Order: sequence, then C-alpha cells, then structure tokens
Amino acid sequence: MAKSMKLAGLKSVENAHDESVWTATWVPATNSRPPLLLTGSLDETVKLWRPDELELVRTNTGHCLGVVSVAAHPSGVIAASASLDSLVRVFDVDTNATIATLEAPPSEVWQMQFDPKGTTLAVAGGGSASIKLWDTATWRLVATLSVPRPEGPKPSDKSSSKKFVLSVAWSPDGRRLACGSIDGTISIFDVTHAKFLHHLEGHYMPVRSLVFSPEPDGRKLYSASDDGHVHVYDAEGKAIIGAMSGHSSWVLSVDVSPDGEAIATGSSDKTVRLWDFKMRAAIQTMSNHTDQVWAVAFRPGGGGRLASVSDDKSISLYHYS
Amino acid sequence: MACVYIPVQNSEEEVRVALDQLPRDASDILDILKAEQAPLDLWLIIAREYFKQGKVEQFRQILEEGSSPEIDEYYADVRYERIAILNALGAYYSYLGKIETRQREKEEHFILATQYYNKASRIDMHEPSTWVGKGQLLLAKGEVEQAFSAFKIVLEGDRDNVPALLGQACVEFNRGRYADSLELYKRALQVYPNCPGAVRLGIGLCRYKLGQFQKARQAFQRVLELDLENVEALVALAIMDLQANDAAGIQKGMDKMRRAFEIYPYCAMALNYLANHFFFTGQHFLVEQLTETALAVTNHGPTKSHSFYNLARSYHSKGDFEKAGYYYMASIKEVNKPQEFVFPYYGLGQVKLKSGDFRTALSNFEKVLEVYPDNCETLKALGHIYVQLGQVDKAQEFMRKATKIDPRDAQAFFDLAELLISSDTGAALDAFKTARNLLEKGGQAVPVEVLNNIGVLHFEREELELALESFNKALGDGVWLALTGNKPKPYVIEASASILDYKDMQVFHRLEEDGLAVELPWNKVTVVFNLARLHEQLHNTGIANILYRLILFKYPDYIDAYLRLAAIAKARNNLQLSIELVNEALKVNDKCPNALSMLGDLELKNDDWVKAKETLRSASDATDGKDSYAILSLGNWNYFAAIRNEKRNPKLEATHLEKAKELYTRVLVQHTDNLYAANGAAVVLAEKGQFDVSKDIFTQVQEGASGSVFVQMPDVWINLAHIFFAQGNFALAVKMYQNCLRKFYYNTDSQILLYLARTHYEAEQWQECKKTLLRAIHLAPSNYTLRFDAGVAMQKFSTSTLQKEKRTADEVRSTVAELENAVRIFSQLSAASNLHLHGFDEKKINTHVEYCKHLLEAAKVHREAAEREEQQNRQKQEAARQLALAEEARRKAEEQRKYLLERRKQEDEQKRLQQAEEHFKREQWKSGNPGSRRRDRSEIDDEEGGHSEKRRRKGGKRRKKDKNKSRYERDDEVPDMMDDREEMEDEDANRNYRESTTRMNDQDDDNGENAQDLLAAAGLEDSDMEDETAAAPSSTAGRRRRAWSESDDDEPVQRRPESSPVRGNSAELQESDGEIRDDNRKPNGGDALDDDED
Repeated sequence: MAKSMKLAGLKSVENAHDESVWTATWVPATNSRPPLLLTGSLDETVKLWRPDELELVRTNTGHCLGVVSVAAHPSGVIAASASLDSLVRVFDVDTNATIATLEAPPSEVWQMQFDPKGTTLAVAGGGSASIKLWDTATWRLVATLSVPRPEGPKPSDKSSSKKFVLSVAWSPDGRRLACGSIDGTISIFDVTHAKFLHHLEGHYMPVRSLVFSPEPDGRKLYSASDDGHVHVYDAEGKAIIGAMSGHSSWVLSVDVSPDGEAIATGSSDKTVRLWDFKMRAAIQTMSNHTDQVWAVAFRPGGGGRLASVSDDKSISLYHYS
Repeated sequence: MACVYIPVQNSEEEVRVALDQLPRDASDILDILKAEQAPLDLWLIIAREYFKQGKVEQFRQILEEGSSPEIDEYYADVRYERIAILNALGAYYSYLGKIETRQREKEEHFILATQYYNKASRIDMHEPSTWVGKGQLLLAKGEVEQAFSAFKIVLEGDRDNVPALLGQACVEFNRGRYADSLELYKRALQVYPNCPGAVRLGIGLCRYKLGQFQKARQAFQRVLELDLENVEALVALAIMDLQANDAAGIQKGMDKMRRAFEIYPYCAMALNYLANHFFFTGQHFLVEQLTETALAVTNHGPTKSHSFYNLARSYHSKGDFEKAGYYYMASIKEVNKPQEFVFPYYGLGQVKLKSGDFRTALSNFEKVLEVYPDNCETLKALGHIYVQLGQVDKAQEFMRKATKIDPRDAQAFFDLAELLISSDTGAALDAFKTARNLLEKGGQAVPVEVLNNIGVLHFEREELELALESFNKALGDGVWLALTGNKPKPYVIEASASILDYKDMQVFHRLEEDGLAVELPWNKVTVVFNLARLHEQLHNTGIANILYRLILFKYPDYIDAYLRLAAIAKARNNLQLSIELVNEALKVNDKCPNALSMLGDLELKNDDWVKAKETLRSASDATDGKDSYAILSLGNWNYFAAIRNEKRNPKLEATHLEKAKELYTRVLVQHTDNLYAANGAAVVLAEKGQFDVSKDIFTQVQEGASGSVFVQMPDVWINLAHIFFAQGNFALAVKMYQNCLRKFYYNTDSQILLYLARTHYEAEQWQECKKTLLRAIHLAPSNYTLRFDAGVAMQKFSTSTLQKEKRTADEVRSTVAELENAVRIFSQLSAASNLHLHGFDEKKINTHVEYCKHLLEAAKVHREAAEREEQQNRQKQEAARQLALAEEARRKAEEQRKYLLERRKQEDEQKRLQQAEEHFKREQWKSGNPGSRRRDRSEIDDEEGGHSEKRRRKGGKRRKKDKNKSRYERDDEVPDMMDDREEMEDEDANRNYRESTTRMNDQDDDNGENAQDLLAAAGLEDSDMEDETAAAPSSTAGRRRRAWSESDDDEPVQRRPESSPVRGNSAELQESDGEIRDDNRKPNGGDALDDDED
C-alpha cells in the first residue's frame, strides 16, 4: 500500500434536523459559492449546509412524509429532492425557486442521480421495477428502463415486488446505468440504446446504494446491501471481483472517494467505515453516530471531505486524506 | 554332642538320650519319660529340642502329655516345672495365633494359649514368667494396654526382669512411645549386657522412630558387629541407606539388601525391598519372583501387604488391571487401617477408576485422603470420579483444593477449568489461563486444547479480539495464515468473495502450486472451525468462508462446516444455496439431526409447510426424540399451524395449540432450564388469554437469556411487549418494543416498528404512529401494507381531530394536510394495484380514497370556519388588545402622576429629614446602618421566592403532559391480515383476501350510508367504527379482545422465520457448550445453526 488513508472528524451538528436524517449529497461549487451539503430528513425538510462549519444556509419545506432522496446537478445550480409521497421537487439551489415537480405514478421515488453531463435525472422507481429518466431541459419523462421480470409460469405479485428498485447509479462516462433491487439483484442498462444488458448476482437482500468508481476504473461498481456486505463488480464483465464484510448490520450507503482509492460506507450498525479496495479490508471505523447511518458522501473535487447523516438527527463532516 | 540322661526309676542307671538323635516318633521318648517318671524339666528339655529341630508335632505331643491331668496329679508338688510346661505351650499357641492369618483359627490358638496360661496361673498366680507369657499373648492379640498391665505386674515384683522389660518396651513401641520404649530397652541391656542383638535392634528401631538416625544407624551397626549375619539389622541399615534417596545411598542400600538376601533368602522385608527396586528398574520378572517368595516366607501382615502391593503394582504397570486389582485387594486385606499402609488403596482406586467402577474407586481414594488430606493426585482423582458420577459441585471442590495445595500444577488447573466451563465461565477462563501460564513458564508447549478453550471462553464472553489471539496461538504456523493473514494472495481474495462456488477447491491447489503445504492436522480442525466461527462473528464472512472450505477440502465429511456455510448463505438470504449445502451435509449423514433441523427451517422459510414438518419430524426421530431443538421446532411448527388455521377451523387450532404445548412441555421435562421451551409454553398460555402467567414466564426467560453472546432472544422481549399491549399498558409496550429494536436489530426491523405503530395507534398517539410507520416504510419500501397503515393512521387522526369539540385552526389545518397525504397515499396504492404490485383490492382502496376525499371536503369547510373564527378571534383579540393598551396607557399615566406625587412627598420628607439630620448627626448614623442591612435581606428573600415559584411552574407543566389513554376498536386489522397473506400459501391468501374484502365491504356499506349522512351533516362523523361504538358500546370490549388476539396471532406468523430458529437454535448451543466441555474441542454441533435467525 502506497499511502495510508485516514478519516478525521471535523465537525458534527447535533439535531441538524428535527427527525432522522435519511439522505445527503454534495452540491458542486459554482462561481459564486463553495460546494454545499444537501440533506433530507423525515422531518419533511431539505437543508443546505456550508462547510466546513456546517453552517445552515437554508431550510426548504414543502415535502410530505419524509425526504428519502436528494440529488445535485453537476453544475451545482439545481438540485432535486424526493419524499415518500413519490413527488420529486427540482429547485434552484441558490434561490430555492421550484423548477419542476416530477411525478410518474404509480412509480415511487427512491434514489436519484443526475448523469455526469447533467442532461438526465435517473430515478429509482420502486415497485414499478424500473428506472425513470427525466430530461433536465424539458423535465419530461424520456425513458423507462424496466428490470426484466424473471420468466416463470405466473409472474405473480411476489416476484415483481422482489424486483422493486431502490438504488441507481450512473457510470462515469454516462453510458451505463445500474440499479439495485429489493431481492439483491443489480441490473445494468445501456443508456444510449435504453436496453437492459445483464444482472449482477451475489446479493440476496436489498441493495440500497450503488456507486461506480471514477475513471479510469469506470467499470467498477460498488454495491451496499442489507446482507452486511459491499460487493465489487466488474459491471461490464458481469463478474464479482470482491466482497467486503465487517459491518454487523445492513450497509445503507456506499461512496467512492474522488481519487478512487477509498470507499466509505454507512451502516445500520451506527458506524461509518473507510475501506481500501486493494486490501478488501476496513481501514477505519468511525463510531460517532448513535443510530443508523443512512448516507455517506465524498465531496467531489479536492479537499478531501466526507459527510455522513444518521437517524440520530445529526450530520458529521470528516477530513479524508 | 549334647545329651540328656533320664534316670531309670529305682536304680542308679540312666537312659542316655542324644539330643540330636531324638526318635522320629515322640511316643518312644514319652514312653521312657512316663515309665521312668522322669523329672518334668527333662520333658521340657526334650520338647524344646524337638521344637528347635522344627519337629513341632513332637514338641506339642510331649508337652501336652506333660501337662495332662495324670501328670498334674503325679507331680502335684512340682510346681515350677509344671508351670514352665504350661507356659511353653501358652507361648507356642500365642505364636501360632500370631502368625495365623485366618481369623477363626487365630482365635482358637489364642483361646488355647489363654487356657494354658490360666492353668499356669492357677498353680502359682505370682509366677513372673506366666505373666510375661500372658503379656506376650496379649501383645500378639493386639491388646496393648492389657499387655502393659501384665508386664507391669512382673516389673513391680522385679524391675530387672529382662523378658518383662523387653515386653514392656515392645508395648511402649506399639503405643508409639518410642522414648519410653528406648529407656526400657536400655535397662534390659544394662541388666543383661550379653543379651542377643535383637535388643539392640529394638534400640535401633526406637531411635529410628525418634528420628535419631545417626544413633539408630550406630545401634544397627552394633548389632551387625555382634552378629555379622543379622538380617534385620542389615535390612534396617539398607532401608536407611535407601531413604537417603540419592544414587549412592540407593546403591549402598541395595548392596546391603542383596547381602541380607544372600545371608537369608527368606527375609520378606528384604525381598520386598528388592522387589521394589526391580520394579523401578522395570525387571518385572524379578519382582514377581521375589514377592512370591516373600509371600511364601512371611505371615507378617504388613509385610505381606507390602509384597502383594509390589506384585499388584507390577501387574498394574504391565496393564494387567484385573490381576493388579486382585493383588491390591489382597494387599489391603493384610492392612488393618489405611494409616498403616495406604498405597494399595491408591492403586486399587486407580484400577477401579480404569474399569469404570467409580463407587469402589471413590471409597479407596477417600481412604487415601484420610491419611493424606493434602495429596494433590488423590484430590484430582476424586475430582474426576465425582465428574463421572455427575456430582460437579463436589468435583469442583476437590479440584479447587488441589490447585490451592499445589498452585503450580498446570494439570490441576486445566481439570478445574474444564469443570467450571458449564457453571462459571469466568472462573473457568481464569483457571485455563493459569494452566497456560504455568506451562509457558515451565517452558512446556501449551496443548492446543487449552488455547482453544481459552479462545472459546473469550468468544462466549464477547471478548472477540482475545479469542482471536488465542485461536491463532493454538493454530501456530500453517496454511491458514495464507488464508487469514494481512496480505492474502489475490486468488485467495477472489475465492473468498463468494460462497457460490464452495465446491471449487482450486484455490487450495494453487496454494500447493505456490509451494504451500495445504495441511490440516486432525487436532487443529476444531480450532480452525472455531476460528472460522469467530470470523463470522466479526463479520469477516470471506475469511470464515474460506476456512470452512479448507476444512472440507481436507475433511469432506465435516458436516458442521457445511452447515456453517449453509448458515452464512442463509444469513444472506440465499436460501437456494443454503438448502444445497445442507443437502451436502445430509449426503455425509442423512440422519444428522442438526442438518435435518436446519433443512426443516429452510423449508419453512420457503413456505413449504408440509415438507418442513416431515423434515423436522425425521430430525426428531433421528435422535429418538431426545433432541430438544427438533422437538422445539415441531412445537413451533404446530404453533404456527394453529395460528395459520385460525380462521378456517377453530378445532384444528385448538388441536395444534395443544400439540405445541405438549411438545414444549416435553422439552421442559427433559431440560427444565430450556428458555426456548419456556418461551413457547408461555406463548401458548398467552394465546389462551392467561396473560399474568405468561408474563411471569416471559420475564424469567428474559432474565435467563441475558449474559451470553450465544443466547439471543429478541422474541421474548417482543412477547412481553405484546402482553403489555394486550393489557393496555401502552407506555411499557412501547418501551419494550423500542428496546428490543435497538438491542437486537440495530433498529432495522420494520415488523417491530409495525407493532410499535399499532401501540401508538391504540394509545391514540397519531403523530408517533405515523412517524413510526414512515420509518418502517423507509426500511421496507416494498411493503405496501405499511403505506396503507400510514394512510389509515392519518385518516384516523383527521377524524379524531374533527370530532373534537374544541379545535384550533392550526389543528384543522394540519388535519387537512394529513387528509391530503392520506388521499395521496391511497390514490397511489390504488394506481399501483393495477400493476399488481401488492395484493390490495382496488375497490377497497378506492373506498378509502373516497372517504378521505369527502372527509377532506368537510375538513376544508371546517378549516374555513375555523379560520374565520380565528380571524374573528384575532380581530376580537386585537380589539381587546387595543382596549387593553388604552387601559394600560391610562393606568400608566395615572401611575406616573401618582409617582410624581409620591416623589414630591418623598423629597419633602427627605428635606425634612436632612434638616433633622443636621440636628442629630451622630444618632442618625447609628440607627441608619442596621436599617439598610435589613432591607438587603428582604430583597434576597424576594428573589428566592421568585425562583421557587418558577420551579413550581415548571413542574406543573410536566404533569400536564400525561396522555389520555382510552382505547378504541380500530380498522387496521385489515392491513395486518394483508401482511399475513404474503406468508401463506395461495389458498389461504385467497381466503384471507376474501375475508378482508368482506370486512371492507361492511365498511363500504356503512360508508355508503354514512357518506350521505356525513355529507348532510357536514362530515362531522367518522367511519362506521365510531358509529358502532356509540350505538352499541357493549360490543366494544368483545371486539377489542378479538382484535388483540388476532393481532397477537398474526404477529408470530409473520415472525415465523425469525422466531422458530431463534428458539431452537440456542438450545442447540447449550448442548454444544456441553460438547466443549466433553471433548475440549468443538463448539460446533448446534452452533452450526446459530445464525439461523438472521
């Protein structure tokens, strides 16, 4: 190992929200401001925080039933937030002006991600067993990528609910989409041809978080599952190339550092872990949270920042080196 | 040659009898003696001569004739000779009695001897020699005190009577008064300096006993000087040499023994010592020969005992336990008290232990312990026996004593530790560690088992790092390092990534190609297994996986490794693979109860009820119904079956419940401390409504389950919570559910969240209920039932708010918001039902949508009304405020005026005072100070008063928070039932489905009617439930109870996959702990199943 990786706690905000914090992402910097941390909570609000002091910039209201997912456009200008009532709100980060409200009933909304170029928003469609793709210029639904249902005598309710799509991730080149399902299968799509390519197998419990490694390792896909494992796949070659275990409960969130060297995970076991893929081993375990850690997010660009949010209503910021 | 001359009667002639030519037939001589009426002393001389020549029969014949009544008559006045003859006979029979081993004959001899001495006494009761003889007889009989009196009588008459002195010396020696004995011997020597060496021998023995070894040695040497061939002295000296216990001493001692043997080959003592020596040199043939000779030549009990012991020991060491036992027994027979010679007891104990005769072994070792209460080996042996007899407490006691007496005996600590494992793991661990440290200090290798056990104990105490350390130490160097080390080879990493290809052994071949010997010694298999278990516990699944595969690579029949791999697969929900692995295990042994139990469990998870029952039954059969796990599983099966069938057939339910109870009880009879059986029994009781009893049991089970990492029983927490819930103690139920969630599930179990939400619902804590359900949805997004429930909760919240007599506009506003959410949720569910995402009836959901919509309309009206009211209120308030402000202004103006007035007055006053001051300067100063002080104090008082009042106010606020805890019949049974549906077979599903539809239809009807009424009545009323309650309050209780029982029933069905394995599982574990204890090796067995519940 060339260098040793490390996390160091920088700042924690207790009671950052009134209720469990369920989601977080970084909004890239614009010319006028630094990157911001965007968080969503069961308290039905979305909040923006300025690093490194985690100073509250604004509280967005308007959602019902708890915010389950937030996503930021690569430009840093717009962002999206979604709640349990399956409404997606797209808004201007700096003014909080609503740009669009997206809905594709009866499809629910779980994880969302903008593609690397910022032209499409991919939304994990829950029970519809599909990914919904929204054009970011017109805010129209442009495609539905459906997970093929297993062939069988009776495609019953059961099997379809098993393909319930929870998580979604774009490959760094924007050509591939991966989605994770309740039954543990991961599906890979060719975005340009809107075509299903193949499944990645190995998990048999919900896959709640997916992330591709940045270039040049853009084929490498990390998955976090309720089975307590992080799997590493070659998304093109269909092969599993590693499994990392160590969390004692569900792995709720996984993210890769911008340099592609380290992986961070958040788990129901209340810890945040830093992993070295080459070693297939955890290097560090942070135990500052007192309840499930729902999201971890590396800040894009330099500076080495990692944020984590938890059911304990707090958010934490770490220095990664 | 010595001759005697028998005077011929009535003549001067004498018959010459050459003593060395006595006729074979004593009758010839007797005839002469009688015919010639020879003096009695001649009779005695001749008899004695016969005796000397070993012709005992003739000796006896002559003396008996010589003491016959005719003689008495004829020689009536020859008193001394007659006494001498009688005494000689007495002495002879004393001797016979002394050497006789058979008790009856012995006594007969003694009786004869006594008779002769008594007869002698009748002739002259003061004859000292008779008393000496009597004393000897008593000594031979072991009646030491009476012998003492006899000798004393003689010595009182003549303090220098040598035989009496010697006799008394002997008495004192036997009494253990060696100093007194020594004095007596000394006096005998002074009186009779030429006495035989035997007297000096006595002195030597006394000195020896007194510990004066140097003087003892001198005495023995003196004996030898006097009599070069005195065997006793030689042997005594030899023994002293041997006791020096060094090579030179032993050499010298053995030389002397050999000489003694050469001088007199029949000295039993010497023979025994020689045999002893050859035993240690391993020449068993000589041992046997020597001891057999010794036995032939001696009748001395202790010596014979020693000989038998030597013989027994020889056979013992050759492994002939039967003969050894026989001779030990013979040896013991020669011993009166264990104190005399305890070794054969020990030997016999060992032999009996070996042959499994624990009771006999026990009594023998206990005898040894009487003599040597601190003998470690004996204590340990007793410990072992008590283990075998099942008296663990006693066993512990002895082992503990052994370790106390010799705190450096590693083996003793090891044994103690093994005993403690089952009762006190902490103490066991300490003992194992002590054993390990002792061995390490002594430079000895610590046995693998010790390190393994230390590891297992740490494991159990959740000290996983220490456990890891110990297992690694136990394993030492080996192929496992390549699999678990810091930098494993890439192909090892790849191989460990997935258990899908558990059959693929290529990784091991590649290791071999890389020059690593893939070896797994048999005594380390268990350690590797335990290490793998530990890595599982540490969530290093990959390492565990590859270690199990290593075991299977080398030992393809190691069932537990298959079962653990199956458990890993199962924990990750890969049921197909798990079943495949269990089947691999069953290929090895199709009757393995653990594998069958696990298979049954997996089949249950797969919803294969009938198959599961068969499998579980065969698991139970495979163990002759002795396997608690299998019986428990069957009990659980019946319980779930009862619940499952409730709605279809109440009779069947009762049968199943009864059967379940019977099975749980059967386990409890076998193992009164089986937590899982107790839990099951309590569940059945709760099912029958006996909440108090079941609560007691659950509480006890909960206590029992705390403390071990291997016993995880969330079920009992849930069951307790259910009881609290059913008894209406919602606050406690909530606490219990929450604690269970946190303690066992990292807050991830959506099912328990559902119970929690239900409790909040019953407690009418709508917001908590809703939040809880939202959390549950977040955890289990595909569970649409939760969404439905959330919708119902919001609907309910809204109706209850709207029904309140007083409500603020804010409340109504939030009601409207909640209703909008409810409408949205129900609409989404309705839309989703087209896609068959869930099993709800579209119509039913639409009913909810419609109902909520019209409620929403009504609510909006209310909101407007409330807002209007609020507006008016606000206006009123504003007016009031204005009024108040005006009033305030007026009041202030007035106050100002008053103030000014007052001030002016004060100023006047002050002026006046100032003037006075000027007049009375000094007096003013004095009185002014205390005055100001007083004022200070009163200010402080005021402040304190303020504080306390504030505090009081706070307390009041807290009290207000108490919630109203009325309960209500509710309609979310429907979602609960829907929940079941998924778990059940299609048939049931349909039934359920129908049923729920029926219910909803009821509601529909009501709603239909209500809807109009409601619309007319501005929608103030809630759904049918409230109507019904209002109309027929009496029915509420009944319905409520039904609701409880239903929900309780529903619960375990849903929990089924979890609860059944949890229960049985750790029962298995307890047994596997037993295994650890038994063979120091494996916590596997049931352990293999231990992850089932995940």
